[in-house]
Amino acid sequence: MTQYFFYFLSFLAIFFAALVVLSKNPVHSVLYLILCFFSIAGHYILLNAQFLAAVHIIVYAGAIMVLFLFVLMLMNLNRDSEPPKSWQGKVAATLAAGLLLLVFTASIKGADALPSGNQPDNTVGLLTNLGKTLYNDFMLPFEVSSILFLVAMVGAVMIGKREEVSE
Amino acid sequence: MTNLSWLIPVLPLLGFLLIALFAKSLPKTLVGLIASGTVLGSFIIAVSIFLQNDGTAHTVKLFDWISSGKLHIPFAFLIDPLSLVMLLVVTGVGFLIHVYSVGYMSHDERFAQFMSYLNLFVFFMLLLVMGNNYIVMFTGWEGVGLCSYLLIGFWFKNTDYNNAAKKAFIMNRIGDLGFILGVLLIWVTFGSVNYSEVFSGAEGFTKGDKVITAITFLLFIGAMGKSAQIPLYTWLPDAMAGPTPVSALIHAATMVTAGVYMIARSNILYTLSPDTLNFVLFIGLGTAIFAATIGLFQNDIKKVLAYSTVSQLGFMFIALGTGAYTAGVFHLMTHAFFKALLFLGAGSVIHAMSGEQDIKNMGGLRKHLPITYIVFLLATVAISGIPPFSGFFSKDEILAHLYAHSPVLWGFALLASMLTAFYMFRLFFLTFWGGFRGTKHQLEHLHESPLVMTAPLMVLAVLSVLGGFLNVPEIFGGNLALKNFLSPVFEASELRSFDPHIGHQTEIMLMAIAVGMAGISIFLAYSRYVANNEVPSGDEKEMSWLEKLVFNKYYVDEAYDAAIVKPLNWISRKSEIFIEKQLIDGTVEGSANFTLHLGGLLRQLQTGHIGFYLIAMVLAVVAIFGYTVLF
Amino acid sequence: MNALISLSVLGIVAMLSEIFNFKKFLYSLILLGLVAAIGVNVMEWGQFQLWYGMMIVDEFTLAFSGVILLTGFLWFLLVADNHQDKAHISDHFAISLFAMAGAIVMVSYNNLSMLFLGIEIVSISMYIMASTQKNDLGSNEAGFKYFLMGAFATGFILFGTALLYGATATFDIQKIGVFVTEHNSELPAIFYAGLILIMVGMAFKISAVPFHWWAPDVYTGSPTLITAFMATIVKTAAFAAFLRLFITCFSGVELFWNQTIMIMAGATILLGNITALLQNDFKRILAFSSVAHAGYMLLAVLAMNNQSGGSLLFYLLAYSISSLSAFAVLLAVANLKGNTNVQSFKGLAKKNPFLAFVVIVAMLSLAGIPPTAGFFAKYYIFTAAIANNYVGLTLVAITGSIVSIFYYFRIVIVMFEGDESTEVTVGSNTKALLVICSVLVILLGLMPDFLIGLLK
Repeated sequence: MTQYFFYFLSFLAIFFAALVVLSKNPVHSVLYLILCFFSIAGHYILLNAQFLAAVHIIVYAGAIMVLFLFVLMLMNLNRDSEPPKSWQGKVAATLAAGLLLLVFTASIKGADALPSGNQPDNTVGLLTNLGKTLYNDFMLPFEVSSILFLVAMVGAVMIGKREEVSE
Repeated sequence: MTNLSWLIPVLPLLGFLLIALFAKSLPKTLVGLIASGTVLGSFIIAVSIFLQNDGTAHTVKLFDWISSGKLHIPFAFLIDPLSLVMLLVVTGVGFLIHVYSVGYMSHDERFAQFMSYLNLFVFFMLLLVMGNNYIVMFTGWEGVGLCSYLLIGFWFKNTDYNNAAKKAFIMNRIGDLGFILGVLLIWVTFGSVNYSEVFSGAEGFTKGDKVITAITFLLFIGAMGKSAQIPLYTWLPDAMAGPTPVSALIHAATMVTAGVYMIARSNILYTLSPDTLNFVLFIGLGTAIFAATIGLFQNDIKKVLAYSTVSQLGFMFIALGTGAYTAGVFHLMTHAFFKALLFLGAGSVIHAMSGEQDIKNMGGLRKHLPITYIVFLLATVAISGIPPFSGFFSKDEILAHLYAHSPVLWGFALLASMLTAFYMFRLFFLTFWGGFRGTKHQLEHLHESPLVMTAPLMVLAVLSVLGGFLNVPEIFGGNLALKNFLSPVFEASELRSFDPHIGHQTEIMLMAIAVGMAGISIFLAYSRYVANNEVPSGDEKEMSWLEKLVFNKYYVDEAYDAAIVKPLNWISRKSEIFIEKQLIDGTVEGSANFTLHLGGLLRQLQTGHIGFYLIAMVLAVVAIFGYTVLF
Repeated sequence: MNALISLSVLGIVAMLSEIFNFKKFLYSLILLGLVAAIGVNVMEWGQFQLWYGMMIVDEFTLAFSGVILLTGFLWFLLVADNHQDKAHISDHFAISLFAMAGAIVMVSYNNLSMLFLGIEIVSISMYIMASTQKNDLGSNEAGFKYFLMGAFATGFILFGTALLYGATATFDIQKIGVFVTEHNSELPAIFYAGLILIMVGMAFKISAVPFHWWAPDVYTGSPTLITAFMATIVKTAAFAAFLRLFITCFSGVELFWNQTIMIMAGATILLGNITALLQNDFKRILAFSSVAHAGYMLLAVLAMNNQSGGSLLFYLLAYSISSLSAFAVLLAVANLKGNTNVQSFKGLAKKNPFLAFVVIVAMLSLAGIPPTAGFFAKYYIFTAAIANNYVGLTLVAITGSIVSIFYYFRIVIVMFEGDESTEVTVGSNTKALLVICSVLVILLGLMPDFLIGLLK
């Protein structure tokens, strides 16, 4: 049963991802991307990680995508403002991406033959276990990530702030 | 106190840095004080180490210098009797000459630069004698060569002086090539360049081993260059272009004796290769006679002294060649005293004569320069080997060893010694006795040098007179103090070499002959230049062909020019046309143009388009996957 | 760890200075703080600590942290005279300090999650710093380009990390290393895929061909100060991370990746050097030379013996200080002339012999000519590579360094041409920096043993 859900959700995710790239209208792209995120959230639930699924939807679909929409609207981007791309570029990009896909699939093919004693704990996604792992084992990375956010914040403010006309 | 030994070279280096950095802002007095003070400091430390030394060798390691693979070169100093003797000579005589220079150079506008070079020279010379391995020695060896070059060409506005500096540098480079090859061979043979390891390793070799002979021969080539032996001696007389204190310090007392020090240091290697020792002996003897004969007809006061230096260095190599290392070092020391004194005295004369160096135009200076006259006389007597002055003891020891080695060779050396006495007194009489032959202008300006110049002269005069008593032979009831002090260094050699002993009777007879010959020479000089009032004309037309030959220094410079310089120039002109222009330039420029062209093509790749970059990167990832899967 | 804490605290202090109004003292405070951090770093020498299994403090960490802190200190000396944007000074300082903290994380990680965090802290700081000159189109372009391509590379690193976790069930690099040696013959395909992806991501960060595309454009477009930061501190951190990852995790499967890195190294050396030949912008020359130097340093990774760490450390220090002094002079000249063209250096030797001397020392060192540090840096790296039988590659590297002499000496020659240059002046801090760097370059060239002996 889970297997069917997995394949179904994977199909949806890939399908919407393809639409994100193919649709001409940027606003449509964003909406397809939200749908894609929802399908991936479904994968989290399949992996017994309900909390991550919820966070995924709230952060990506809720916060980030809304931000994207704002940007699109503020800059008034639509079908017409899209610069035309050369067909050579399109062919090259498709070829390159296709080759990458081929290589990845080929190299990950043997994934089911993992060495023994190596199966990850499937309850780690539960909220309590996640919290314990995060605040025990990964305490230091958790703290260090605060530096990362601080940098991002300072940078965002600095770049976003309107320049005072001085001197 | 030994722990402080690192300060000995560091002090002059500090002096050099201080003066070089603040040359413009320091007053002259302070420059003089710093330059002499740092060397004096080194001297004091050297003395205190000397007083505490018990004959054992100490190694003072500063830091690991280079280590790569099997090659480990520490920057370390070796304090043993031999290096102590050298330290005392270098810092002691060096200090006196620094003081003298303060007076001598005081009117030169580049005074500070001069003093800083002198300090730098002392630093490198100290590295040379203090290092505990051949690489540190080589560093000093090259460094003193550099300073010598800088100081010979100190008055660089004169093209001749510049040429002299270049000549000295190039001649030395020829020798250095031999030296560095020798050091490489040492490393290959012993796996180390540290003295202690090399010398203990050498004890496993038999006498006459081919490798050791090759090593010692190569090292001796270095010594021939640095210590001005046949055939590489021609640079030294030309080097007199430098200011006189430089001639005294570098080209008489210290640097030119580096070759002697090097052989004395490597004595065990030389003892193991009798062939090289014989070669050293013949080169030394040849140089001693050859240079002495040239000295007979020179009219430039400094040139005479320069040839005399070459000749005396020959004597030192005679000592080394007979395996009498102590005698070599002893003569090195006494020679440092009296030759430095002679040069400084000559400097005083030149100073008084407003730059005149030709003895044809001097004469009668004893009335005007009484102090210089007396000290110059003492030094001349010392170098001529009259007892009990220092030169007598050291030269006599060499002659005695040579007699034991071979009476025939002794005869030749005695001839050189006679010639020495003759040309030195010829110089002395022509300069100080008789009537004044210079211009009226010069006569009016004749004056004794200031105290800052005469004080070092007096100290050196005392040393020249008494220096011989450091190593009084047994027949005079002496105890051979220097020999005993140095014996730990030469112990291994003495065990291996046969020391021919000559009886006391013979020794006294030899001395008597030598002193008698010197006396005859002096008398000849007196009768010719004082009694007959003869003055060399310097005019080639009046000379016999033999005189002409000697006067022109046997045309050696001209011969080198014809045999080496001109063919080389011819080859290089032809090479320029055929090899350089056509062969090399063709290949080099061809490949360079190809590379440049490639650069022009490759830079087109850097388009600036992100899309292109990303696709290129993705394709590269695909290629890497493909490559690792396929291979 | 102490270095990380002190740098983070310094960064926060820099941010607070805006609020509490002590911006005037900020600069001196940072210099003092960096000196203190260097001191603490030196005091810790010889210790071994593992922090929560996430960060490891050993001699490797301390040595590379030392290089980063020293370079950072010197870089801040350069900042004093060249910082134009007075309004955002506290923000800029805070971000640079946080970037250095990220660099420290990158040299001391013991866990792939920490590696990722370190890389991101450094990268994001650099994206921001590259685009700080808002009115300059080049700076905007550089920031944007760096961000897009950096994000791309980060994707590779993350994907690779995930695959490695899938294969080994751990993020701990030492455990991965043990796993690799224990299961040497039966490693799953996703392990190798993960390895390649991480390698690709790291190759991007060190700007190895064919993932170097961003480097010349970003280096040229960014403000020169930031370029100096990227070329020295960021590069040091990225290489230390690269070496630690491969020595700890992947030394068991050396035969799998060494051919790839070998080709990358050769291509990087040749392409970097040859492309630099015809550039006319000194900043761009330095950018391509930085690419080329990455190729030489890959040899140390390939050597995989006990000389790797020491020789890489020496190389990075030699390269960083030589580059810093070159950038410092470039800044001084560019401030006057308004461009970074090679021709701007015309006549420098006559007007300001000191600066010319500094440039000559730096160029000699970058070209690897004795008696400068750069010579021994190359020498040690080459001997380490030859010891592991990479003779052919070493020959390529030597060819590359011969080619490099051409463009390094071009600038030296230009300095002695003509004399129409106006007086170039540098501030006292920059002067101190130049003196320190030049003395260090020569000193390291005269006695290289001290440093190389640190990591055996």
